[in-house]
Amino acid sequence: MTAGPPTEARVWRSQIWTIAKSEVRRTLFSRRSFAVYLLVAMPLALMLLRAIFMPDTLRVNAPDATTEFAEVFHFFLLRFVVFFANAMIFVRLFRGEILEKSLHYTLLAPIRRDVLVLGKYLGGVLSAVLLLVPATTLTYLLVYLPHGRAGLSLMSSAAGVSSLLAYLVIVVLACFAYGALFMLAGLYFKNPMVPALIFLGWETLTPFLPALLKSLSFVHYLVSFAPVPVSLGAFALLARPVAGWVALLALLVASAILVFLASRAARRLEVTYSAE
Amino acid sequence: MRSDRIVFTDVSKFYGEVLGVNKVNLEVRPGLTGLVGPNGSGKSTLMHLMTGLLRPSRGKISVLGIAPDRPEELFRIIGYCTQYDSFPNGATGIGFLRYALSLHGYSKAEIDERAWAAIERVGLTDAARRRIAGYSKGMRQRIKLAHAHCHDPQVLVLDEPLNGLDPMGRAEMIDLFTELAREGRHVIVSSHILHEVDLISDGVIMIHGGAIVAEGEIREVRGEITSHPIQVLIRCDKPHVVASEVFRLEHVVEARILEDEGLLVRTRDADAFFTEVNRIVLAADVVVETVAPADESVHAVYDYLIGEGVGGGSA
Repeated sequence: MTAGPPTEARVWRSQIWTIAKSEVRRTLFSRRSFAVYLLVAMPLALMLLRAIFMPDTLRVNAPDATTEFAEVFHFFLLRFVVFFANAMIFVRLFRGEILEKSLHYTLLAPIRRDVLVLGKYLGGVLSAVLLLVPATTLTYLLVYLPHGRAGLSLMSSAAGVSSLLAYLVIVVLACFAYGALFMLAGLYFKNPMVPALIFLGWETLTPFLPALLKSLSFVHYLVSFAPVPVSLGAFALLARPVAGWVALLALLVASAILVFLASRAARRLEVTYSAE
Repeated sequence: MRSDRIVFTDVSKFYGEVLGVNKVNLEVRPGLTGLVGPNGSGKSTLMHLMTGLLRPSRGKISVLGIAPDRPEELFRIIGYCTQYDSFPNGATGIGFLRYALSLHGYSKAEIDERAWAAIERVGLTDAARRRIAGYSKGMRQRIKLAHAHCHDPQVLVLDEPLNGLDPMGRAEMIDLFTELAREGRHVIVSSHILHEVDLISDGVIMIHGGAIVAEGEIREVRGEITSHPIQVLIRCDKPHVVASEVFRLEHVVEARILEDEGLLVRTRDADAFFTEVNRIVLAADVVVETVAPADESVHAVYDYLIGEGVGGGSA
């Protein structure tokens, strides 16, 4: 029936893309998506309420919106929404199928386990980016909107657009890094939310840690792309800012190592649903 | 190196301290092979090992020359119908097969062609676009079978494939397995029901407590079993009618109507009995819920076989 034997690379590409598309569908258009949508809608709902109930005295201070968004981004979007949305999406890539007892169908396909991991990871990244990039952009819009014409012109200025792009770069890199970590956790732990919470604690403590320990967190590198610095409180220990290229390299290398470890774990993966 | 055999060399599998299978040495030739053993004897473990869903703690496995830890090669030549009655959420019958085939790298046209051919072969054409969650047990079993053979594999591994099928469905599936084996494939069918396997297999592998207790031509062990009556439980809407009909059969030694519309029959010739019961059911227009050998009897046969040490094979 086949027209000719496809090359190995073409088969891998096709398999990665097939799995990625399937993961995007499962993440964005299934019953399990509800919790992720709810989480992603939280900053939008809060900023909408803020826009509606903002007193007129504050509406005139359009330049304040820049600092306001920076604080919302650092303390709520990045450390809560982006973190947990990635946790919910990526731990389920393998763990969800194990709990659903349907992982064996994927493992019974003629696909290398590392190719499978790459496909799932790509699907997770695409899903997370498709949810979090629009959510961040809309939150940005809702922070500036109550400031009227002045807010809109600030937002659409070259500085405003480049700020937004910098925040979006942070979100996308966070999806790559947190995603790789949570996918690995989903392969190793029966309840990956426990290590996720421990890691959240570590990420939250980062500002108060010495420079060497800071470098063992993702958030340390992610915030180096932030266009507006925020105050982390009196007890925060200052560290020399990381250069953009170093941060980018560190995050991508860490993600690659985590995906590689996930591939190794997937190669050893056995189907024993009764043990779950 | 390619071969036409499935070979287990000194294979053991332990789940922590618990034994799965122990020192299995096997060589399976093309044709229809029955893997038979009581519940928990290690049949599924053996099949999982063969398909790489489990890794052996010790020993080597080769499926037509391919090691099970090379799924990219193995699953081009093997199809596995597991015992798990679970499916991806929201999948339709045809969507389930299309997804599986798309991972093989076929073109869209070929995916459609193969998916519909497999669906048709298991008699699910009308239900193909419905969600699997709404399928009956028998339909779910059929879609799993379609999934296992839709890519036209050389080796088919089927774990309890007749579970949940009505007598007509069983007959159709048995015909399908026989046809696939006749085409020169390996068809390995597991069952805890000895006579079910006896009915369809050329060779048999008997497993008990994780060890192979007998292996070879099924005719060799059949003689031993026919003198040992087995019990068959029939649940239907007219147990009295079926009872009066089956009691006329020479090989039936007892037919007892149970309180819950069940009928328990003891027969000395299971092959003949299963053939006759299909005829009776069709002739008397009986609605059958279940026809299955009763467990106690199956275990008795095993006790009998294992106790008497029937067959050669490795222990």
